[in-house]
Amino acid sequence: MNPFQPLSRRQSLQRFGSGFGGLALGTLLSDAIVADQPQTTASAHFQPRANAVIQLYMHGGPSHMDLLDPKPLLNRFDGTTPPDEVADDEKRTKNLMGSPFQFRRCGESGLEFSEIQPFVSQHADDIAVIRSMFSEHRNHEQAIWMAQTGMTTEGRPTLGAWTAYGLGTENRNLPAFVALPDPGGPSVDGLRNWSSGWLPPHYQGTVFHEQGSPVLNLQPKQPRSRAIEDARARLLRQLNDRHLAQRPGELELEARIDTFELAGRMQLAATDALDLSQETEATQKMYGLDDPTTKSYGTRCLMARRLIERGVRFVSLFMAGQPWDTHTNNNEGTKKCCQRTDKPIGALMTDLKRSGLLDSTLVLWGGEFGRTPAAEQRNAKTPFGRDHHPYGFSMWMAGGGIKGGQHYGATDDFGYRAVENRTQTANLHATILQLLGMDHETLTWHHNGRDERLTDVYDARVIEELLL
Amino acid sequence: MRCGFVQSKLLMTSTLLLVALCPVGVRADDEKRELTFDKDILPIFRTRCIRCHAGVEPKAGLNLTSPSSLLTGGDSGAALRIRAAEFSLLYEKISSGKMPPVGQKVTAEEKGLIRKWINEGASGVSNAAVVDRSDDVTVVEHWSFHPPVRPDVPQVVQTDRVKNPIDAFVLQQLEEHHLTMAPAADRQTLLRRATFDLTGLPPSPEDVEEFTNSIDSDRYERLIEDLLANEHYGERWGRHWLDVTGYTESAGILNEDRDLPLAWRYRDYVIRAFNSDKPYDRFLQEQIAGDELTDYWTAFESDDQLSDEVVEGIVATGFLRTAADPSRPDFKTIKNAASQYFYPTLFDTLQIVCSSTMGLTVQCARCHSHKFDAITQVDYYRMQAVFMGAYRPDAWVPQMNRRLPIASKKQKEAATKRNAEVDVNLKKLKSELAALKTTFTTRLFDDRLNGLPEQIREDVKAAFAAKAETRTKVQMYLAEKFEQTLRPKAKELDTALAEYSDYKKQTADLNAKVTAEEGRRKSFDEVRALYDLPGAITTPVLLRGDALTPGPLVEPGVISTLQTPQKFQWKAPSTEAKTTGRRLAFARWLTQPNHPLTARVMVNRIWMHHFRTGIVDTPDDFGVSGSPPSHPELLDWLASEFVRSGWSVKHMHRLILTSSTWRQRSRVSTEHRATCEQVDPENRLLWRQTMRRLEAEAVRDAFLAVSGTLNPQLFGVSQAVARQKNGEVIVPGGADQNRRSIYIKIKRLTPETLLQVFDQPTMSVNCTQRGMSTVSTQALALLNGDTITRAATAFAERVISEQSDDPVERAVLTAFGRPTTKDEHDLLTQFFETQKAQYEGETAEADRGKPESLAAAEKKARGDLCHMLMSSNEFVYLD
Repeated sequence: MNPFQPLSRRQSLQRFGSGFGGLALGTLLSDAIVADQPQTTASAHFQPRANAVIQLYMHGGPSHMDLLDPKPLLNRFDGTTPPDEVADDEKRTKNLMGSPFQFRRCGESGLEFSEIQPFVSQHADDIAVIRSMFSEHRNHEQAIWMAQTGMTTEGRPTLGAWTAYGLGTENRNLPAFVALPDPGGPSVDGLRNWSSGWLPPHYQGTVFHEQGSPVLNLQPKQPRSRAIEDARARLLRQLNDRHLAQRPGELELEARIDTFELAGRMQLAATDALDLSQETEATQKMYGLDDPTTKSYGTRCLMARRLIERGVRFVSLFMAGQPWDTHTNNNEGTKKCCQRTDKPIGALMTDLKRSGLLDSTLVLWGGEFGRTPAAEQRNAKTPFGRDHHPYGFSMWMAGGGIKGGQHYGATDDFGYRAVENRTQTANLHATILQLLGMDHETLTWHHNGRDERLTDVYDARVIEELLL
Repeated sequence: MRCGFVQSKLLMTSTLLLVALCPVGVRADDEKRELTFDKDILPIFRTRCIRCHAGVEPKAGLNLTSPSSLLTGGDSGAALRIRAAEFSLLYEKISSGKMPPVGQKVTAEEKGLIRKWINEGASGVSNAAVVDRSDDVTVVEHWSFHPPVRPDVPQVVQTDRVKNPIDAFVLQQLEEHHLTMAPAADRQTLLRRATFDLTGLPPSPEDVEEFTNSIDSDRYERLIEDLLANEHYGERWGRHWLDVTGYTESAGILNEDRDLPLAWRYRDYVIRAFNSDKPYDRFLQEQIAGDELTDYWTAFESDDQLSDEVVEGIVATGFLRTAADPSRPDFKTIKNAASQYFYPTLFDTLQIVCSSTMGLTVQCARCHSHKFDAITQVDYYRMQAVFMGAYRPDAWVPQMNRRLPIASKKQKEAATKRNAEVDVNLKKLKSELAALKTTFTTRLFDDRLNGLPEQIREDVKAAFAAKAETRTKVQMYLAEKFEQTLRPKAKELDTALAEYSDYKKQTADLNAKVTAEEGRRKSFDEVRALYDLPGAITTPVLLRGDALTPGPLVEPGVISTLQTPQKFQWKAPSTEAKTTGRRLAFARWLTQPNHPLTARVMVNRIWMHHFRTGIVDTPDDFGVSGSPPSHPELLDWLASEFVRSGWSVKHMHRLILTSSTWRQRSRVSTEHRATCEQVDPENRLLWRQTMRRLEAEAVRDAFLAVSGTLNPQLFGVSQAVARQKNGEVIVPGGADQNRRSIYIKIKRLTPETLLQVFDQPTMSVNCTQRGMSTVSTQALALLNGDTITRAATAFAERVISEQSDDPVERAVLTAFGRPTTKDEHDLLTQFFETQKAQYEGETAEADRGKPESLAAAEKKARGDLCHMLMSSNEFVYLD
């Protein structure tokens, strides 16, 4: 199935030298990065539990008490004034609003999911829900930066970029970090969702498209015949070889010649990776490719599996805009998001499990914050919504060394504030890095006179309870 | 796998707190009253917490009995953050039930009170009285904190290579290591290198021919003078400066990425400043305090109009407006907007100022002092106080409203008066127009009524005369039926009225008057400037850099460990003063001739752009954790020479470009390389020149230049970019598509793709040194990208029209700035012939052999040839 022999982590270590410095060299199609030598000197790293990540980023902030965090008391006090302890301090919302969705205990473990996730909930025993996440900002962008880059300041590298920097790719013909945006439009915060910040641009997510040329400029706009294309490549090579011959020892020139060769190989590799027609009809159906509601997200989920299979380290999936931002008609909006994504995600989990990839692939589900337990109504004519809520919310993780079938931490009785095992984003990030075999304190990049890290100055703790 | 419903059974974790089952509504009278520490909070602390958290040695260092100690907090930091209960340690401990550990827990109602009190502003809590200074370092022995001393020019052995003192300093170190300089590069190499270095563009084929053949002994020096006088010089070096200022044309940081329509004036100011060789000290003074330096407010108040100097002064302050600032008027409704949005702009501004002018990384000191670091936290906030007069988080002005008109008060008042007149006149004219229309509408009604058949005429008239609600059924019918005819609406009415020549003429006259009147309206261009705001200014030290835990107040100041001959001098102005003078005092301190950093940092930056690496290879960090200079004496000599020349940047270029050091070859013999690399593998001693890849803008500009399509127009509003469906961001077609890259609008969220791929920095704060990556996305952009494909086609047409007998020769000369070699010529010619035949072979059989298809094949083949020249290493690298 896989035309490329992926290097194992251990082989990579041997090939590229010892330690992270060597490993990170194997990144993004170029193992000869001359100008930007990776700086990390981490020596203490762990046995990795996962070697790849699929991030299902849920823009807008999914409503935790309608999905993963059942709140019977909230239901009981539906429509009443919230007590001071959980009253909206900005007075933007009204009375408490219970969830209309039934929660079910699923799997052997009895982990609870609301009824609008019939497919994902079938994997309850593989999923660990963190119910005690909290963020530091109430606005989307800053909270997205928190979730993706570890702080509420703009311009830092994303989790995917750090992973690419730390681990490189296992397939030299494909990038280490691939972003799969929605062809329906950009997500909120656009390309910053896969930015490498101040890390070198090799580590930024490469955008793969569902339609048309999979990677920008992979093919010419006016098609050229093989003969024409080959002659051009040959001439370029000849010009560059002559140039290099007069400048022996100029490593950058050699590296640049390589990038053209690699570009050629990427054309084959990317085209093959994204050729979904190689999948059986049953598989396509399982991902919902036959249904207009699930087709788009299902396509990206299937692409993600194929990319991970080929050694891509980090794949991020996005949806256009911010569909989970249910300020009006929360119940309908949340349900609709599930209708688009639940079946494809369930299929992805089934598929990963079937092929054994789930053991080494970490699946992350979540957004930048949750939603208020109280109702929001901007206009008397519209059905109740829920506002942004950073003080307590849920996300889930599965596969790649995660102990499934459990929930971790808790919010208070109304889902307002994380009170038990409060989980700051840095803890989550430290845990993810640890699963990938990296220490969040030693994976650093020197920038502006400072050794920067994903978890910055946070006193971060790896959440051992989540690990197998 | 089973999925069952959870019905009545609640799944509760053991430690989950069950709060009051009956939510307690807040009573109406409570709602109005502000909670206070003494009345509402202290009693709770007294009963629940005081057993441990009081007295001389309170537990964990936290004393809850005195409100002023809450911000300072205890061993774990601040106990509370003002207006942010959810993120306050105190509330976290209490709400999670961790505190108090024994005894009676805090009730739900009490928790609510504490939370409300904090979120309302924690009344009774004042700024922390002290700031932890235990890690302050007051004396640091570090080379860059002492003023440079002009060293003597050393004596060297290889005097024949000494063109100016630069060479003596470089040779001295080479000779110490028993090394030599590489030979001088050939003329074509020097021409290409110098032209790109100073203008960011390739030399034209004519330049190459003339320069190569010139026998004048001073031809090289003249070349340098010509390039320095070239107006494109400012675009090249202005771009370098814009990097360190963090210049963009979008407000950041939010997704809306709002345009900054006035930002370009500052970009043009920078280009002009470099072109005119504005003394660097003046350049900095204007950018930091142009309004104060040129006395803008006096000019505004008393002059008839603002002088060019004043306008330039306020435009220059655009330097302090580059930090991301997404603020909008509605931000005042956001809770804690100052800490979330306004302070970060101020933080970024200080970081930009200090890293660009002094090469210092100050942002670490925002949170606390570091042992070994020369910048203390208090110094950081003293410097912040310099900018606090303008950037006032407590009285924030949204970014789009921070602008000044290019007009004096008199002009503004005259304009207001004039515009008021215009308004009056327009109102009058418009009412005349309306009256005219009414008159003729009535006439139209009558005329058309008269056109109706006589038998119904009176009935229709009566129907329209009657009020709508009193009409009979018949009248309603008639009114509806003839409404269109008798009372046409909108466009139809206008068309009908236009039939009356009187009406037509009179309205035309009136409309002409309206246009004339509108033309009298006065407005002024505006400047995105920084200027002080009215009102009292306070600058608290922010404990842990957190605006929600303010500490003691500080006055303006600078980094106290820097050994400047002249101290920072500032006196608070009178309360009526329009501006505080803080920034001007700072600018004067910064630009004093013997400032330890200002000149060194700038000459180092100039050096870096000519040699790829600076004498200090951490251009943004001259501090304790930065690298030491490779040539400390040379750096000091250059710095003192810079000041002596009147801070002339062009003088520095002249010195560097005429030195033997810069003129060395980068291609050296294997022997020379082997010898030198043994001692100095990184070429820090400068035993040769270093190969350099062109920066993003130079790559794109060179494509346009060789293709002959470059639009050389300087200055003005930036070219918009557009995102295509495939995600590529391009400059859309049109006359200005091919302007230089510095004029492409820089949007934080939609950077132009080709530039981005070639490492144009993504501005989050600023960029003090660009990365230079070598990645496959660049290869793809070159092989298949839009810009290069278009340019290659134009390039091919250009070479055939300029040199039809030998287009290959012309193409190489244009692309590489050198004549072609024999076997290279053969290679390219052969490629052209094969490719042409292939294209011809691929044409439809019916068209094959026809002159037009032959011509098309030739054109494509030549396009391919040019395209590959432009993609080659020789094109994008400088020897």
